[in-house]
Amino acid sequence: MITVAGPIINDTTVKTKERKISIDPITRLEGHGKIEIFLNDAGDVADAYLQVPELRGFERFCIGRHVMELPVLTNRLCGVCPAAHHLASTKALDAVFNAEPPPTAKKLRELFYMGQYTHSHIAHFYALAAPDFVLGPSAPANKRNVLGVVDAVGVPIGAEVIKHRSYGQKVQEIVGGRATHPVFGLPGGVSKQISEEERAQMEEMAKSCVEFGKFTVKLFHDVVLANKDYLGLILNQDAYYLETYYMGMVDKNNKSNFYDGDIRVVDQTGKEFVRFKPSQYLDIISEHVEPWTYMKMPFLKKVGWKGFVTGPSSGIYRVGPLGRINVCTGYTTPLAQAEYDAFKKTMKDLGVTGPVHHTLAFHWARVIELQHAAERMLELASDKTITSADIRGKFNPPKEGVGIVEAPRGTLIHHYASDKDGICTKINMIVATTNNYAAINTSVKQAAKALIKGGMVSPGLLNKVEMAFRCYDPCNSCGTHALNGGPALEVTVKRKDGSVVEKQRNF
Amino acid sequence: MRAIVLGVGNPILSDDGVGIHVARELGAKGLPGVTVEELPAGGLELLDLVLDHDIAVIVDAIQTTGGTPGHIHELEEKDFERAVHGSSPHGINIATALALGRRIVPERMPHTVKYIAIEAADLVNVGEKLTPQVQEALPRAVALVEAILGLSRS
Repeated sequence: MITVAGPIINDTTVKTKERKISIDPITRLEGHGKIEIFLNDAGDVADAYLQVPELRGFERFCIGRHVMELPVLTNRLCGVCPAAHHLASTKALDAVFNAEPPPTAKKLRELFYMGQYTHSHIAHFYALAAPDFVLGPSAPANKRNVLGVVDAVGVPIGAEVIKHRSYGQKVQEIVGGRATHPVFGLPGGVSKQISEEERAQMEEMAKSCVEFGKFTVKLFHDVVLANKDYLGLILNQDAYYLETYYMGMVDKNNKSNFYDGDIRVVDQTGKEFVRFKPSQYLDIISEHVEPWTYMKMPFLKKVGWKGFVTGPSSGIYRVGPLGRINVCTGYTTPLAQAEYDAFKKTMKDLGVTGPVHHTLAFHWARVIELQHAAERMLELASDKTITSADIRGKFNPPKEGVGIVEAPRGTLIHHYASDKDGICTKINMIVATTNNYAAINTSVKQAAKALIKGGMVSPGLLNKVEMAFRCYDPCNSCGTHALNGGPALEVTVKRKDGSVVEKQRNF
Repeated sequence: MRAIVLGVGNPILSDDGVGIHVARELGAKGLPGVTVEELPAGGLELLDLVLDHDIAVIVDAIQTTGGTPGHIHELEEKDFERAVHGSSPHGINIATALALGRRIVPERMPHTVKYIAIEAADLVNVGEKLTPQVQEALPRAVALVEAILGLSRS
């Protein structure tokens, strides 16, 4: 049993006279990237919005360039998940050039991608989620961070976290040519063959990652699920529960797949709503525009946009770990499947059948996915055929194509059109956090409404509102990483007239 | 002495890429004993890279209140102490990553970390070029890194 000193779940609330609360992710873009919560005369939440920054001119930047440049350009769009952009882009080029990669190339791409998942999910769980679950949502902000987690669980565990996250990076570097901005994807294949020595090295790292996945699952059970206060938070239907549609990629047996397959959408009861190929996405998804934000909000076309509401008549869907676990029937690897079964059984014992609509269950799903990514990485790295030189397929004159992968944060769509010379004439991308944007907004509003009553607020309470947004692992500020633009949050409580009552910062 | 220069930023986001531009110029010089890396963001990747070096120089864009584009700020780890303790929506910042390294693997951390932060004008528009004032600061930033590493010719 892994134990940690008593986490701080609640803190003392004080009555605010303010009517507007802002939670600002601090960026250099003044007036962008924040959560605003409006209180009514009684001090209850009237409304809440999440506004996010968006870069300008990326589409224009890509049009007129050779499509072969796009896997390298689009992966610069985001400093957080360049690997996902690189692969979605490479798959879009497979479609543009009607080029089928040979089996070795597919395996190498997927192996690379399991490295990405391993690194990304470890970073989110330990650096971003664990502070809330190990130290407690109401622990002081200056302790509620990854350093505080290391203090609580001990330096040796911290060292294991760093080591395995690095292994994920190393696998990406070996297969992808570079750890952060990969360069290996080509239409119909990959550019780089790997050696037997490299394969064996990756196999050893993958073995260790599988063990670390087991450790993380155990940690989640011991520290989070065994704590009735945390279980209560996860099951809190007033604050963290949305009955939405879900979207994610599956293989032919409806097992979760991060790299390839059909996109499956299920309804609020778990029934299949639609199953589609990447090339059909425009028939399934439309995008809604709100006047107060730059980011568009995708919704299911056939259902329609009904605003920030849930249920079968609202086209809002969720992607990412919770979306994927709700659209699949499990995993192709044994340890992840066993934990999936435990997840379903636990929820069933709690009276939940069908999809799990509990927003904080994102974290559990992410831990299960970490286990699966490590196991799949080991399967692929143990396959001695991946050193084959047969890594390029034939390709045809360029036309138009769509590539989709599951980014760690959710379904990622790249769509390009090319003229006969390979020059890009059209580009459209729907990124993971955009898919979740309407749902994140709805979650933030729900948590704020449930938690802020009669104007009573506290730093811990506002952090619990943030938890509704953080569990999606949102990645809003694709691209900018200036020194002062570090990820930080500011929560401001304001009166109806906009004047500030109180400010909380975590920086 | 094992030295590493890290150019942090996004090379297709106007001045956000200034750290990358500096890194590329330094990389082209082939400085003896100096590793030069480009990095899209701070966080744990940065920690991986600085390990087992004696000195690390981090070059990045910055925007300060009332700052003049092209101005070069020389900063040190202690200048970011207030930034260390932040939990974040999608990543940990450079200062937190370094603090984490000092906690977990202190013996492998650089004894000195210097920041060269170049005041940016445009961090919003996609583009490969720097704005004129930041472009003009580029040679000064390169020279400053060389001076810090004790490699300047003058």
